[in-house]
Parts: sequence; C-alpha cells; structure tokens
Amino acid sequence: MSGFAVRNRIREFRVQKAEMTQAALAEACGVTRQTIIALEAEKYSPSLELAFKLARSLERNLEEVFQYAEK
Amino acid sequence: MTKALRRTQVLLAMAALGAAGMFLGTDGWYGIDIGPVGSAVLYAALWLFVVHLARYSSEVFPEQWSPAEKQAWVAVVFMALVTFHVANLLLALPDLGAEADQLRNSATRPLWINLGMLIFGWIVIGSMVRKQDAAAVRLDERDLRIAHRASRFADGALALLIIWLVVALVTLPEQSRTWLRPLIAANVLISLLVARTLVENIYTVWRYRRERA
Repeated sequence: MSGFAVRNRIREFRVQKAEMTQAALAEACGVTRQTIIALEAEKYSPSLELAFKLARSLERNLEEVFQYAEK
Repeated sequence: MTKALRRTQVLLAMAALGAAGMFLGTDGWYGIDIGPVGSAVLYAALWLFVVHLARYSSEVFPEQWSPAEKQAWVAVVFMALVTFHVANLLLALPDLGAEADQLRNSATRPLWINLGMLIFGWIVIGSMVRKQDAAAVRLDERDLRIAHRASRFADGALALLIIWLVVALVTLPEQSRTWLRPLIAANVLISLLVARTLVENIYTVWRYRRERA
C-alpha cells in the first residue's frame, strides 16, 4: 500500500498543449502557480475537483493525467 | 542571491540585534542601559524594511513563494517580535511587586505602544505584499490544507504548553509562587495564546519549505 502514490503527466500534457505556461494553467484552474509547480514535482496530490479541472484544462481524460502507480 | 534579498537579511539581522538589546535592557552591556538603543534599532530596521519593500517589492521574496507563503513569513517575523515583547513583560512583572496588580503599570505601558507599532507595521507590510500579487490567485486548496495542518499542530503544541504550565505550577514550592499574582497569571495565559500563533506560523513556513524540497 505505501509503495503506491498518485503520479501525473501534467507537465508533459501542458508542454504538448502549445507550450501552455504554468501561470496559464494555474489561472485556468484557479490555483497559484506554485501549486502547479508542486503538482508537477509530485509533491502535492490534488483534490478530486482540482484533478478534474486540470484534466479539463489540458483537454485530457482524468485517467490519462493521473495514475495511481508504484513510486 | 539578489541584492534586495541580501538587504532584507541585513535588515532582519539588524532587527534581531535591536531585539537582543531591548532584552538585555538595564542589565545591559558593561553596565550601560542599551534597552532604548535596542528599541530604536529594532524599529528603525522595521521602517527601513517598509521602505525597502516599497522600492523592491518583487525582489524581496523568492519567486517560488506563493502569496500565502509570503504572508506566513511576514506573520512569523511579526509574531516573533510580539512574543519577544510579551516575554519581556513577563520577566519584568515579578520585579514590580504590588504594582504588577494594576492593569496600567510601568511595564505594560511601553508594551502597548510597541504592540501598536508592530500591528501597524504588520498591516502596512501585509498590504504591500498583497498588492504585489494583486492579479494572481492568493489562496488555493494547497494553502488551505497547509493552514489546516498548521492549526492542528499548533493546537497540539498549545495543549502541551498548558499541561507543562499546570505541572510547573503544581510542583513549584509554595514560597516560589509568591510572584504569581492574578494579573501575572492572566499575562501568562495570554502569552500561551501568542506562543500558539507563533508555532502555527513557524509550522506553516516549514511545511511550504518541506513541500518544495
């Protein structure tokens, strides 16, 4: 159980989406840029609502952006 | 490290030196009362910081700090100064004897003036920092989660402090308790609340730092 964590591909999809900046993604989701930095570094696991907002802003499915996988 | 950041550190060191001078007070340095000098240095550092922040607002705080983290750092500095002033009062009160029973005495008067100046400075600096991030989101779920954790941690610390105080009062020999007058006990309780807020703010900045590492 402890060997698993929420992983994400936010950075990868953000760069693919016409080089979207962290600030632009933060504004679209209503969070600070520092939270996007923490998310991309996998130092912070978002709430379900924020996870949906991120997926929608990146035009991806939730499962594409977030995975519950081994560390 | 930028020049603005270095200047900030110099001003903080200056404030700490001033506070130390105030703390030594009449016991002083080679018999000289350096309390008023310390006070002047502390408040000069504070107002220089206000000027510094007004001129170099975007450079004083590192870019990777969120608006809530900046506010938490400002709170740590001011709460540390408030705690220091309250601790100074607690040390001075037992020496006043019967005068300590009066709400207005020679030790509380300067405290109220100093606290007023600190709160005013806090409001000014806090609003300057807020203005810096006017267009951005200032508080989000991550900040709220950290604030919630800090509050829980501070509540635990307060409970421990109260237990420690109760044990200390119960185990103190009766003759050592003569200094414990009602108003001193009231000030001790207020100082516990001040200490709780300081612990909460220190935990908050520590948490932000840890999440970045």
